[in-house]
Amino acid sequence: MKTLQLEFYKMKRRKVWLTMFALLSVQLLWGMWALRNPKDWELKSGWMALLYFLSLLNGIMVPAMMSVLASRLADIEHKGNSYKQLETLCRAGSLYHAKALCGCIIIAVLFTAQFAFFIALGYYLGYEGKPDVKYYLLSYILIFAGNLSLFLLQLALSMLFANQMIPLTAGLGGSMAALLLMFVTTYSFLPWGGNLSTALVRIEWNQDTGISSYFYRVFSPVETAAVVCVFLWIIIFYLAGRILFTRREA
Amino acid sequence: MKLSVLKTIQSEQLKLKHSPVWLAFFALPIISAFFGTANYAANQGVLQHEWYSLWSQHTLFLCYLFMPALIGTYCSYLWRLEHMRNNWNSFLTAPVPLYALCFGKLFQAVMMIILGNAWIFLLYFLCGKICGLTGLPPKESIGWFLCGIPGGIVICCIQLTVSMLIRSFAVPIGIGLAGGIGALAFTSKGWGVYFPYSLYSIGMRANNPNLQLDTKLFITNSLFYIILFSVLSIAALHRRGQ
Repeated sequence: MKTLQLEFYKMKRRKVWLTMFALLSVQLLWGMWALRNPKDWELKSGWMALLYFLSLLNGIMVPAMMSVLASRLADIEHKGNSYKQLETLCRAGSLYHAKALCGCIIIAVLFTAQFAFFIALGYYLGYEGKPDVKYYLLSYILIFAGNLSLFLLQLALSMLFANQMIPLTAGLGGSMAALLLMFVTTYSFLPWGGNLSTALVRIEWNQDTGISSYFYRVFSPVETAAVVCVFLWIIIFYLAGRILFTRREA
Repeated sequence: MKLSVLKTIQSEQLKLKHSPVWLAFFALPIISAFFGTANYAANQGVLQHEWYSLWSQHTLFLCYLFMPALIGTYCSYLWRLEHMRNNWNSFLTAPVPLYALCFGKLFQAVMMIILGNAWIFLLYFLCGKICGLTGLPPKESIGWFLCGIPGGIVICCIQLTVSMLIRSFAVPIGIGLAGGIGALAFTSKGWGVYFPYSLYSIGMRANNPNLQLDTKLFITNSLFYIILFSVLSIAALHRRGQ
């Protein structure tokens, strides 16, 4: 607990919250621009379309930002060459655990704020009915899990490499692969495919009428396996990162 | 004066020696080319304009979203050494004018843009041949390559300024990504030529090889942003040195 408190103390004036707020602002601006002036048919399926939009938005923007967040949390000790000194004061494992938990809290706050803003936007735009609590809650959990797995992967890389260019380039490459996968498949077992695999709403565009219809996705066995894989990645990345970090010479 | 610029270029080259930073510019276009070619090969019924369609698939997200972030990574790396320990002191006390220090870094970034663009075009040509496209890429592609360079230099100038001012390695990359997203919005509204982060993608005709570009306006705006951010960068360096 004390190590976790210290992590938040270290973040002071490092503008980590500001970075996350900037991401949220860009997402909100994009949302306000993309969803403005909805037509009648868009108002009817608005809440479902919003879930689809959120998974798309997160798929495009969040993976790269997870690498930025992980790098910001890990690089303070790299800059001060203070890992060795820190490990004389607390166990390397608990330091890693504190950083992972700190990131986890930031991500939870980020997505809570994101969902709150977009639901408020939905009400402002006048979407018919109310958001389906079950699907919104499930979507929140899945989006959180998908991006947490990415954060843990990036945290492991950022803690292991002092040169932050390596984890950030890996993050950018992965984000790009995930984005391009959206055009090819509906699921992926890659760590960066989490946002794709966990999307609950799918879209069907009618070329003749120009109207898009949204529907809740029925997961096939292989798609369910891809969702389960997201949770496996969380465990694997956390354990692998912690073990590798503990065993390295600081 | 010229000698000092040469010296800074040489010293920047020394700083990058044995650094794997070029690998990022090598790897990301491969990912884009791989998926772009796969998508083109799978949808040849819809994508019927051969070389033009392949180009749109290759550059769809690379030029809009990921090149600004990638340039941001490179620029952060160029300033990384200066932000470590007390290196600012030795950097600012180097017996060369401040503008030469900035130019040395800009030169490295520009070289990487040129090589990166050449690599994107080489992949485009090779993938086209693998897909069985006949002949050579269209003549206009020389224009895409040439226009991509000033657009890329604009992003280099902005990212170098941001990376100099912000100590963090990661935050400027996030700013680059946000700039790329802004570029998407500006380009879709038709205002791409006025937004600095859009200049690269519209210069490269990313996703729209038939775009009629007002070359004069494009070059004027590119030069304006290059001068503006270079001056800002030198001014910020001057202020830091005081």
